[in-house]
Amino acid sequence: MNLSPSMLAVIAILGLLGVGFYALLASRNLIKVIVGLQILVKGSMLAFVLAGRLVGNVTLGQSLALTVIVVDTIVAVIGLAISVQIRRHFGTLDVKALTTLRR
Amino acid sequence: MAATFILLSIGIPWLGALLVWWVGDQHPKLQHTLAVVFSVLAGAAALALIPNAATAAAVTFPVGGLFGDFTFIPDGLGVFLAAVATVVGSLAVIFSVNYMHGEHQLGRYYAMVLFFIGAMVGLVLTSNLLLVFVFWEITALCSYALISFHNDDPKAVKGGIKALIITQIGGVGLLAGALLVYSYFGTYDLNYFIANAGSLPAGVLAAAAFGFLIAAAAKSAQFPFQTWLPDAMEAPTPISALIHAATMVNAGVYLLARFYPAFKDVPGWTTAVVIVGMLSALLAALMACVATDLKRVLAYSTVSQLGYMVYAIGAGGVFASQFHLFSHSVFKALLFLAAGAVIHAVGTRDMRQMGALGKQMPFVRAVFVIGALALAGLPILNGFWSKELVLEAGLHGGPIWAFVVMVFVAGLTAFYTFRCVYLVFYGEARSHLHGHDAQTAMKVSLGLLALGTLTTWLLVGPFGKLLHDTLPAHEIHALPLGEVALEIFTAPATYIALAVIAVGLLCWWMRDRLAGLASALTGLSRAAADSFGFEAVNRGIVSATQNSAEALRVTQTGLLNWNVLGILAGLVIVIAILAFGA
Repeated sequence: MNLSPSMLAVIAILGLLGVGFYALLASRNLIKVIVGLQILVKGSMLAFVLAGRLVGNVTLGQSLALTVIVVDTIVAVIGLAISVQIRRHFGTLDVKALTTLRR
Repeated sequence: MAATFILLSIGIPWLGALLVWWVGDQHPKLQHTLAVVFSVLAGAAALALIPNAATAAAVTFPVGGLFGDFTFIPDGLGVFLAAVATVVGSLAVIFSVNYMHGEHQLGRYYAMVLFFIGAMVGLVLTSNLLLVFVFWEITALCSYALISFHNDDPKAVKGGIKALIITQIGGVGLLAGALLVYSYFGTYDLNYFIANAGSLPAGVLAAAAFGFLIAAAAKSAQFPFQTWLPDAMEAPTPISALIHAATMVNAGVYLLARFYPAFKDVPGWTTAVVIVGMLSALLAALMACVATDLKRVLAYSTVSQLGYMVYAIGAGGVFASQFHLFSHSVFKALLFLAAGAVIHAVGTRDMRQMGALGKQMPFVRAVFVIGALALAGLPILNGFWSKELVLEAGLHGGPIWAFVVMVFVAGLTAFYTFRCVYLVFYGEARSHLHGHDAQTAMKVSLGLLALGTLTTWLLVGPFGKLLHDTLPAHEIHALPLGEVALEIFTAPATYIALAVIAVGLLCWWMRDRLAGLASALTGLSRAAADSFGFEAVNRGIVSATQNSAEALRVTQTGLLNWNVLGILAGLVIVIAILAFGA
């Protein structure tokens, strides 16, 4: 079997998105949720680069990917900080405990 | 220059709102001072805008291709309403210094009032339909928050939610109309829309026209949405004066006046506007005749007078309607604030317990009577001139049956106004209420408004010229004061109206001898006290909205996993539409 680089990239993107969405759907531990989110975003980053290459505008794809890296890092940092606070406040990392606004 | 003043008259109140909130409730004195300073400054900025009125956009914020530019145009209609909003706003704030003395959470109160003033100015000055909608919703939100200011009182909370839901229905009409216009023109610029309305397909233009009519009726408490306004009287009285008499409820009339040139050729639209205005004026006046709550009487009279303005627009009298709006803002703010002084002094709103309060509060009685005479439409107060202009416009441009009803309502207005004045200030004391006359800050704002009620009709000439010069599409005929006076005093409509008003006054004077007639009308008065069943209709709308919201709450699990599933499902649907559809 002979795969082109683009095809490989598509498979990698779909794999990363799949893993990420699965983690978000199935896990209730906040740390796992953040890890899942990271994996998901890595998939989309790769997709930006691939899209840039396919359209023939490599620099645009790269700069979008760079932007995503920066934003993604901030999301991870703040998400982890919130997790620490939640652990202190609720004594658990279970997302099920975070439905107090609903009541 | 105009650009600076536009930004100042929106920015100053909003900055003040932030500051008052930031100062915190432990410094009430500073909060009072800040609120007064910022609202007066905003009033000065808006007044300075009047000589700078123009037809071209003065402020433009380019925000990319999708929304078009966010533009602000200081045309006659806009600057005059901005001036009304900020000046009456500053007087209401000055009044609040005494009225709200000792209240907790002044920060919330003043922040919302100032936020409202800024949003109202933005609403009337912007020429971007999307921004009109945004400001429209901000004013509705502030109105809700202030009606429910005493949030430990279930009646206040209920009244606020009712006002919010009913005005939101109007907001949907406005948004639908705006999106329709956008989808055909690709721009939100409302002057472009007004100039090119004829090129729209007839059905689309009609849909937009009636969408805007629904929006205006809901906002201005017109038939069949009129019942939220009386329930909004749970708000502190300066709020009733500012938002529910002088400014926000005028937004609907403003919307109709602004878009009149675009919609006047839509078949049936002007007739619908006339009917909405006429029914509101009539039903509300009947309800005002039997109401016993002082503020409710004023609320019904507001609905009734707004009905006059809507009726005038339907009859083609945009100028008459805007002039009546101007007069009404001044004398109704005066009436509400004077009623606030009474309520503040005696601690009840029930007119059956009042009576003979005039001796204890002569100043309040004097200004209230001035406002009441203007409301009744007696010469030479400002209400007389504008109401006669409205009736004359109605006689020339509207159907004759509507004119007859409106003249009858003028008589009813005189009747219930006199009833209200008599029950509160004259006659015999019906319980041991101890009133004290108004305090200094109250006297300042009441005095200024009374002065305005006596004199603003002198501005009819410049006001007409301002509208004529900056609103070419509206075809306004401006006349100097002398000619307006001549026209009014030679028109038969004036004398018919004055005669009917006199009959209304006589009916109150001879109420004992007319007791037989009154008992014949008990059925009508009971129906009026039940607000002719519209209370039930509006309550139904509110409870239907709340029930469906409660039902939809099931979807809000608050669980991350379910939310992600929802996002994924949305993504799949979008991809499916992109792949297979269109």
